[in-house]
Amino acid sequence: MSDILRLSVPLAAWLAGFSVVYGLQGLSCSRHWPEGLAARPVLLSAWVLAVALQAALLWMLLRNPSPSPFARAVSLALALTALLAALWTLMPVAVTSVCL
Amino acid sequence: MTPPSETPPETSPKRPTALRLHRALEPIYASDPRFRGWFTTNNNNDIGLLFLIAAAGFFVVGGVLAMLIRAQLASPRSVFMGPDVYNQVFTMHGTVMMFLFAIPFFEAMTVLLLPGMLGSRDMAFPRLSAYGLWCYLIGATTVVASLIPGLAPDSGWFMYPPLTSTEYSPGINTDIWLLGITFIEVSAISAAVEVVVTVLRYRAAGMSLSRMPIFAWYILVVAVMILTAFPPMILGSVLLETERLLDWPFFQADRGGDALLWQHLFWLFGHPEVYIIFLPAAGMISTILPVMARTTLLGHGWVVGAAVSLAVLSFGLWVHHMFTTGIPHMGLAFFSAASTLVAVPTAVQIFAWIGTLWRGRPRLDLPMLWLLGFFATFVIGGLTGVMLAVVPFDWQAHDTHFVVAHLHYVLIGGYVFPMIAAVYYFLPIFTGRTRFFKLGEVAFWLVVPGFHVTFLAVHWAGLLGQRRRTWTYDAGQGWEIINLVASVGSFVMAIGFALVILDVAVNAAVSSRGRRNPWGAGTLEWATSMPSPSYNIASIPVVRGRYPLRDDPDLAHRIARGEGLLAWPARNRRETLVVGTARGEPLQVAVLPGNTALPFVMALATSVVFLAPLIDAYRSAGVALLAVLALALRWAWTLGSKVDEGPLDAGHGLALPSAAEVPDPPGWWGSVFLLLADVTQFGSLLFGYAFLWTVAPNWPPPSYLAPGLWGPALALTGAAALAAGPRLAARAIGRTRAPWPGLVLALGGAAALAGGAATVWAARDPTAHAYDATLWLLAGHILLHAALAAIMLLYLGARVARGYASPARIGEARIVQLWSDFAAATGLVALAAAWLPGAFA
Repeated sequence: MSDILRLSVPLAAWLAGFSVVYGLQGLSCSRHWPEGLAARPVLLSAWVLAVALQAALLWMLLRNPSPSPFARAVSLALALTALLAALWTLMPVAVTSVCL
Repeated sequence: MTPPSETPPETSPKRPTALRLHRALEPIYASDPRFRGWFTTNNNNDIGLLFLIAAAGFFVVGGVLAMLIRAQLASPRSVFMGPDVYNQVFTMHGTVMMFLFAIPFFEAMTVLLLPGMLGSRDMAFPRLSAYGLWCYLIGATTVVASLIPGLAPDSGWFMYPPLTSTEYSPGINTDIWLLGITFIEVSAISAAVEVVVTVLRYRAAGMSLSRMPIFAWYILVVAVMILTAFPPMILGSVLLETERLLDWPFFQADRGGDALLWQHLFWLFGHPEVYIIFLPAAGMISTILPVMARTTLLGHGWVVGAAVSLAVLSFGLWVHHMFTTGIPHMGLAFFSAASTLVAVPTAVQIFAWIGTLWRGRPRLDLPMLWLLGFFATFVIGGLTGVMLAVVPFDWQAHDTHFVVAHLHYVLIGGYVFPMIAAVYYFLPIFTGRTRFFKLGEVAFWLVVPGFHVTFLAVHWAGLLGQRRRTWTYDAGQGWEIINLVASVGSFVMAIGFALVILDVAVNAAVSSRGRRNPWGAGTLEWATSMPSPSYNIASIPVVRGRYPLRDDPDLAHRIARGEGLLAWPARNRRETLVVGTARGEPLQVAVLPGNTALPFVMALATSVVFLAPLIDAYRSAGVALLAVLALALRWAWTLGSKVDEGPLDAGHGLALPSAAEVPDPPGWWGSVFLLLADVTQFGSLLFGYAFLWTVAPNWPPPSYLAPGLWGPALALTGAAALAAGPRLAARAIGRTRAPWPGLVLALGGAAALAGGAATVWAARDPTAHAYDATLWLLAGHILLHAALAAIMLLYLGARVARGYASPARIGEARIVQLWSDFAAATGLVALAAAWLPGAFA
C-alpha cells in the first residue's frame, strides 16, 4: 500500500491546497471576513504553505524512495508535477484582484 | 510467503492435459442453461457482453436523437419539431450519450477484458457486476421510455435550477432525470468498487505494479475518479429532488439557497466526467497502438504518471464551466491556470503514442485506422479546449455552438473512435472470429470525414454567434448554409456508424473461426482460447514481465495445460488468486460465488425504491427498501464458512489461506473504497453548507441552532461507544470469547449518536431556510449511517451465533468496525458543523 500512497499523496495534497486557497479567497470576499484584515497577505501565505508542503513531500520521497524503480520514478515525477501545479495554479493570488 | 518457483511442479492430483482441464473447469464456471441463465449468470464474459450490447443499443438511441436535432437545425424556422419536443430531444441526447452509452460502454469493455488482462478468473465481486448491469438496464430503459409519452427530461443534461425547480418545471420530466440517473449511478459506483479491488488484488502471481498492463492502470485511475466525482452529483440530485418533493429550499435565494450551488456540485462531477470518459479510451490506445506498431509502449512510466496527473488535475477545473457566472477574477484565474495545465499530461500521452509509432513498424489494420482518426480529431478538440480555458475567449464563446463542436471533438474523437478501434481489436476475444467482411473500412471513410464536415461547421456557426440549446433560428444571420452543411455531414457520419454496427454484427455472426492471439499481442488476455472461456484462464500464471506472452511465446499453452497456480479444481468451486497490492505476491485464495438470481432480484427491488416516487407510490418505495435490505443481508449471508479450512493447496507447492480466513478479505477492501465514495459525498455536503454560509444571499438565517447539553452529550458518548464496541467484539472473536459486550456497547452507541442527531431534527423546520434544510440533511446522514452500523452489528451477532466467526474468520468483524468508525467520525463532524455556528453566535 505504501507505493500507492507514494503515487497518490502529492497530487491529492495539491488538490486539497488548491481547494483550501479557493475557499479562502471566497471567504475573504464574504461578509464573514474580519474588518481590517488584508486578504492578499493571507492568500499569499496560504500559497507559500501549499508550495512548501509539496516541496516537503518531494523531499520525503527523495529521502524514502520506493524499493521498486518503477514506483520510485513515477512517484517522483508526480511529486514534481504537484509542486509545479501548486506554483502555477495558485499564482493568481499574487497577480490578480481579489474580489473584483 | 514464499514466491512460486519458476519451474512448474506437478502438484495436481493428475497432470492434466489442456482438454481435460477445460472439461473440469467448464461445468464449474458455466452459466445456467437456456433463458434462466440470462438472469442468474454473474460470469464476467456474460455480464460484459450484455453490458456491451445494451450500451451499443443506447448509442443508437442517442444517435437517432442527434439526427433529429440536426434535421431540426438544417434550415431556419424549421417546423420539424416544436420547442417542447426539441428540449426533450437535446436533453435526452446528452443524457443518453453521457450516462447510458459512454460510461456503461467502457465499463462493459472493462468487465469483459480486465480479468483476462490481469490473469484472474473473474472480477472481484461478480454478483456486483450482475447487480450493476441490471440496475443500469432497468434505469436506462425507464429514462429512455419516458420519451414515448413526452415526459422525458427537458432542461438540458446539466439540469440547472431554477429552470429545474418546480416553479419552472412542474411535471415529472425533471424527476425522471434526477431519480433515474441517480439509480443508474448505483451501477457506476458498483463497477468502480469492484474494478479498484480487482486491479489492486486480483492479479496473476508476480504481477507487480510495474508489470501491470497499461489498461489496468488507466481503469484503476478511472474507477477512483468515479468514486470521488459521482458523489457530488448524487448529492446535488438528492438536494434538488428534496427541494422539488419536500420544499427544502437549497437553491431558492429568497430562503437562503443559491442556484449556483447546483452548478458547483454538478461540475465537480461534470468536469472529471470528461476525463472519466477519455481515460479508458486512452488506456485502449496505449494497449492497441504498440501492438499495431509491433513494438512496446514508449515511456510506460511517463504514461502512467500522465494518467494519474490528468485524473487529479481534472478535479481542479470545475469552475471553468462557470466563467460567466460572476465569480471574481482571482477565482477565474485559478481555474484558467489549472485548465491550461491539464494540457501538459494530455500532451505527454500524445507524444508517447507518436513516439511509439515512430519506434515501431506500424501496420494499417482497421483498429489502427480508427486510432489515426482519433489523432486527427482529438488534437483539434484539445486545442479548442485550451482556447476555452482562456477566460476572455470563453466569455465570447460560452453557450454557443463553438462549445458544442469542442465537446464533440473531444468526446467522439477522444472516446468513440478509440472505442471502435478497441471493439475491432478485441473482436476475436469477444466472438472467437476473425473479421472477414470489410464494411469497417467503408464505415471509417464515412464517419471521420462526415464528423469533420459536421463539427468544423458547428465551430464556425458558434463563432458567428449561434447559441446552443435553441430550437430554431431566423434566416439572414449567415448561419443557413453552415447548418445545412453540418446536417448533411452528420447524416453521412450516422450512416458510417450504422455500418460499423452492421459490420461488427455480421462478422460476429458468420465470420470464420480465428486463431489465438491474431495480433501477436503480449498481454495475458490473449493467452486464452478464443472466444474467452467461462473461467477465463485455465491456470494462473507466474508473471515476470510487462508483456508475458512476448517474453514466453509458449505461455498460453502452459497456462492451458494447467502449469500455473490453482489449475485443477480439486475443491470443485470457483477460485482465483489474491495478490499483494504492490509486488503481486500470492496471498490468498478467493472463492467466487456461483450462479444466482439474487443480483437481478435486488436490482428489481432497488428500481422500485428509486422509481416508485415518480408516481407518488412512496409506500411501495418503503417496502422495496426493506426488501433491498433483506436481500443485501441474504447476499452477505451466503459468503463465508462455518469451519476453518486452513491453508489451501494453490499449486507449485504453495499453500495459501482462503480469503475468508484473513483480516483483510476482499469485502474489507470493497468497503474501504465504497467508504471513499461515501466520505466524498459527506465532504460535498459540508462544501455545500460552507458555500451557502459564505456567499448565498439572505444569510445569516433568522436563528442558529443552539447545541444545548443533551445533544452533544448523547453524540459524544454514542460516537465513543460506537468506535469502541466493535473493537472489543473483534478482539473477543480473536480470542475465542463471546463478543456480546462489545456488540451491545456499539449498538447503544449507535442509538445514542442517532439520538444526538434527532435533537437537530426536532429543533428545526427544514422548509424554513436553506440552513435548516442543510441541518436536516446532516442529521439524516448521521441517522442513516448509525442505522447501517446497527444493522451490521446485529448481523455480526447473528453470524457469530451461527458459527461463522473464528479467530481466523475475523474479516466480517473488521468490516463492521470500519463502517462503525465511519459512522462515529462523520457523525461527530456533522454535528460539530451543525452546532458550532449556534455556539459562537
